[in-house]
Amino acid sequence: MDYVLLGIQSVFSNTAMFSVFGVGIPSCLVTLFLGLLTGIAVGATPGLAGPTAMAVSLPILISVFGVRPDALLPVFGFLIGVMKGATVGGAVPAILFNVPGTPDAIMTTLDGHPMAKRGMPRRALRIAHFSSVTGDTASDIVLFVCAPFLAIMVERFLDLPEKTALIILSLTFISSVMGSSVGKGLIAVALGVLAATVATGQTFHPRLTLGIDGLQNGFPMVSAVLGALILGEIFVTLNDIWRGERQASTVQSSHGDVADGLQKGDLRRIMPHIARSSVIGTLIGALPGVGSTLAATLGYTVGRGIHKRRKRPEDPDFGEGAPEGIAATEAANSAVSGANLIPVLSLGIPGNAAAVFLILAADSIGGFNPGPAVFNFTRPQINPELVVAFGIFTLMALGNLLNWTIGGAFMRAMSVMSRIPIRLLLPIVLMVTLTAIYIQDTRMAALWITFGFGILGFFFRRLDIPVLPFVIAFILAGTLENTARQAFSATGGDPFFLFRSATSVIFLLMAVAIIVFLGRRKGHGAAATHPN
Amino acid sequence: MNRIARTCAMLASLVAAPFAATAQDWTPPGPITLMIGFAAGGGADTQARLVASGVEDKTGWTILPQQVTGNSGLNLAKELSTAPADGTVIGMVVSETLAYNAVIAGDPALQAENFTPLATTAAFQMGLIAVADGRFSTWDKVKAEAEAGTPIRFGVATERQADMAYHFGLETGIPFNIVSVAGGAEIMNGVRAGDLDIGWVAGAQAKAVTAGELVNIATAIPTPLAESPDAPSIVDLGSEFYLDGYFMFIAPKDIPEEARVALAQAIADVASDPNTQAGALIQRSFGGAAVLTGAELDAYIAKGVQDSSQLLEAIK
Amino acid sequence: MNRVNGDAVLGAAIVVASVLAVLVWVPRDTGSAIVEVVRGSMRIGDALAPTIGFSLLGIAGLILMIEARATGSTLRLDRFDLVFIAGVGGIFLCAMLLMRWSGPLAAALFSDESYRNLRGTLPWKYVGFIIGGGFMIGTLISLVDRRLTARVYLLGFVVALCLALVYDLPFGSLLLPPNGDV
Repeated sequence: MDYVLLGIQSVFSNTAMFSVFGVGIPSCLVTLFLGLLTGIAVGATPGLAGPTAMAVSLPILISVFGVRPDALLPVFGFLIGVMKGATVGGAVPAILFNVPGTPDAIMTTLDGHPMAKRGMPRRALRIAHFSSVTGDTASDIVLFVCAPFLAIMVERFLDLPEKTALIILSLTFISSVMGSSVGKGLIAVALGVLAATVATGQTFHPRLTLGIDGLQNGFPMVSAVLGALILGEIFVTLNDIWRGERQASTVQSSHGDVADGLQKGDLRRIMPHIARSSVIGTLIGALPGVGSTLAATLGYTVGRGIHKRRKRPEDPDFGEGAPEGIAATEAANSAVSGANLIPVLSLGIPGNAAAVFLILAADSIGGFNPGPAVFNFTRPQINPELVVAFGIFTLMALGNLLNWTIGGAFMRAMSVMSRIPIRLLLPIVLMVTLTAIYIQDTRMAALWITFGFGILGFFFRRLDIPVLPFVIAFILAGTLENTARQAFSATGGDPFFLFRSATSVIFLLMAVAIIVFLGRRKGHGAAATHPN
Repeated sequence: MNRIARTCAMLASLVAAPFAATAQDWTPPGPITLMIGFAAGGGADTQARLVASGVEDKTGWTILPQQVTGNSGLNLAKELSTAPADGTVIGMVVSETLAYNAVIAGDPALQAENFTPLATTAAFQMGLIAVADGRFSTWDKVKAEAEAGTPIRFGVATERQADMAYHFGLETGIPFNIVSVAGGAEIMNGVRAGDLDIGWVAGAQAKAVTAGELVNIATAIPTPLAESPDAPSIVDLGSEFYLDGYFMFIAPKDIPEEARVALAQAIADVASDPNTQAGALIQRSFGGAAVLTGAELDAYIAKGVQDSSQLLEAIK
Repeated sequence: MNRVNGDAVLGAAIVVASVLAVLVWVPRDTGSAIVEVVRGSMRIGDALAPTIGFSLLGIAGLILMIEARATGSTLRLDRFDLVFIAGVGGIFLCAMLLMRWSGPLAAALFSDESYRNLRGTLPWKYVGFIIGGGFMIGTLISLVDRRLTARVYLLGFVVALCLALVYDLPFGSLLLPPNGDV
């Protein structure tokens, strides 16, 4: 409990440090603002999502701000802006055109679009905006409190063997929870681990490279992550268009003479739904690997059940344009984004694509390694990583503020984005991504590697193997191997180092239990979730 | 600290003086590629890029920096060994790459004689560190803990550091548990978090030592450490070798002599001038430039190769 | 259920591949064994992680085979996917070749200097990037549209030019493809 107080105290003592930055703060704010606008625009463009915008902008940001530690906050500012903007923006085409701008907005179409069709698009957008921002803010507050606390617990009670077991547990959880089957989740994780082992050994023999010179340095993280996540998605979407399977339905909203805009009592009606969905979203977000789509689905489903019992007879049902439906969905999917950073910041374990990009940015810039060591309050000198962490929190809070104030207006202006033809946009995004990769890793081989991961991502999607566990395993495998190596050496070569402490045994047992339990449930045809 | 810097700068100008006549005679036929053997964004990468821009300002040449990382600099060496030997491709590594790493990798193409060392810029400030008021804060305490049977976890960041730790353990009779981690920063974090007890750090510890949080139990280089001048050296404590090293620029074998001289002089001038950004950085991080060029540098590398073979022999 | 269960086949193939990898590939292409004695103590060797990785993959394949029996296949791969992805691969290959060699070819035809020495100067340094990049964008759009038009290539070249300007003008030390490789 002391540590929570200590954490809050540090936030306040950090404000003084922030004014020292002088130049730092304004540039962060500018990038945050631009990021937010970009995020809303991208979220409002069907087929593009936050991660794509993050991927494309990251190298540009690094070129602008350089790779010095003081570049961290401006770069994070932009990424956080994109992250926050995209959750809001996704609702725009969902409501206006019945096309979800991001996968989490699928449930928003159910009530948002009917409401727009009844002539109240502005009301729907306002409700979506309000619910989304509220959910996001609530979740951020949980993050601010929990992440430092959790990190300190981890550093305090977990030694190298327990940390090894914890990573194994997270990977198992991610592989079991994502995708349609445990087997496929495990395939993704195993391939991710294997890809990460290429050329990363301790000896001077670059392992598993088959003697290919281009692989001497292994698979760079940018290439692997952007290839599998972005290029794979581009190929799949282009393929769908090529086959004529994707016709955007552009049902225009008819502007009738019904009063549009927020109505009296709307806020009071939707508030309970927002609160409930915020809790659902936050809880789900705190678990690594469970996506916002599941949160939205759950929030909507629970909300529908309660709404059925409590609504007045003249109110519309869920699915017919109920404001409560929009609120329940948007609050839940937005509440995921803050809590999703809990595992990243406190454990170094990314839980979703946005978190993957924050790690990628930290990795490219250096000077900040997300993980429990960040929250080291005990150093006598100022811990620069801790300053960055609280800088991130500050930026998130400011991002929410911006979202509250100007996000709504901008969001309503963004409906034009839904008309950009995606078949022209995606090849351009591909080109930008490849250029961005070459700038960081100046070898044609890097482009080939990225393309290869793109093909892999394509086949993953076609074979119904989830991509995100692959990427997360790729990122964590290096840490896992090193921690295991260190634990093994530090214990003097004890082959059973994983089973010497109660904590690590419990972690491992939990990992086995998850596989067995979830494997059985999925075997019986439980609803498969496809997190973004 | 300033005295060392001044001495180094003086040394640099002495070494650089004889070049003056020939250095003007060479200009690169095109842009120079600078391969950097360190991860983007780190201190070494920043140093390389600042030196490059300093050389550009001074000479008007174009330098195109690019990252060639991995395998402790050997990936860079491999790529550099097949690059055109006309002065248009150079690389920045640590001296250990051409000495210990090349020896242990054994690939004949990567041995030191296949490269032209140009100039060093800064020397490692390698110390053996521990938490300031912990159980291992002096060498005597380390010894006492070892005699009491406590396993001592020793953090290392490279293979050479691991072998040196092992050698040091053999000579002092302490069987260390040697733990390999990614870099000096991680060793400091490990020591702070209690995952490690002691470890080698090559200069990044300076701030924390000055702040009184960490200590240099011993120095691993022949000259005293700026922030802990009284720390005993590992050779005093029983080791046969130092764990010293330099950041250095290298070129492929057999580049024209005038190119070598011109490149070396340009790099040396920028590194040892605290008014350049690169010089200022080196001053801040290493207490001043340490520049070796020409025959002196060749001799240092040759000695490094020899020491490495002896080290490998000693720990067999 | 259809004739062949795709997931079961996939699982079986994965099991076979991982067994082969653990027994043949990993031992030959790693620098040290699963554990090794170095400096007088045991440490984890380079072969451990790949061995665990492939074992996990094998187990995953087995689980997939079992699951496939219970739930049926969820594969969505067909021959059109393969045709499409082969087309994309071909376009990418041509684009990379154009990107890499347009500049040197142009230099050989129109200049006495080698491209290597020109790679830092305008307009040479943009040649490969714009030709290769424009080709890739234009041809990919044409593939999706199923018809060739000059307009999409024009779009491609303009986008590539803009990209080159965005990265190259403000940041002098950045290298556009292929200038780090020549």
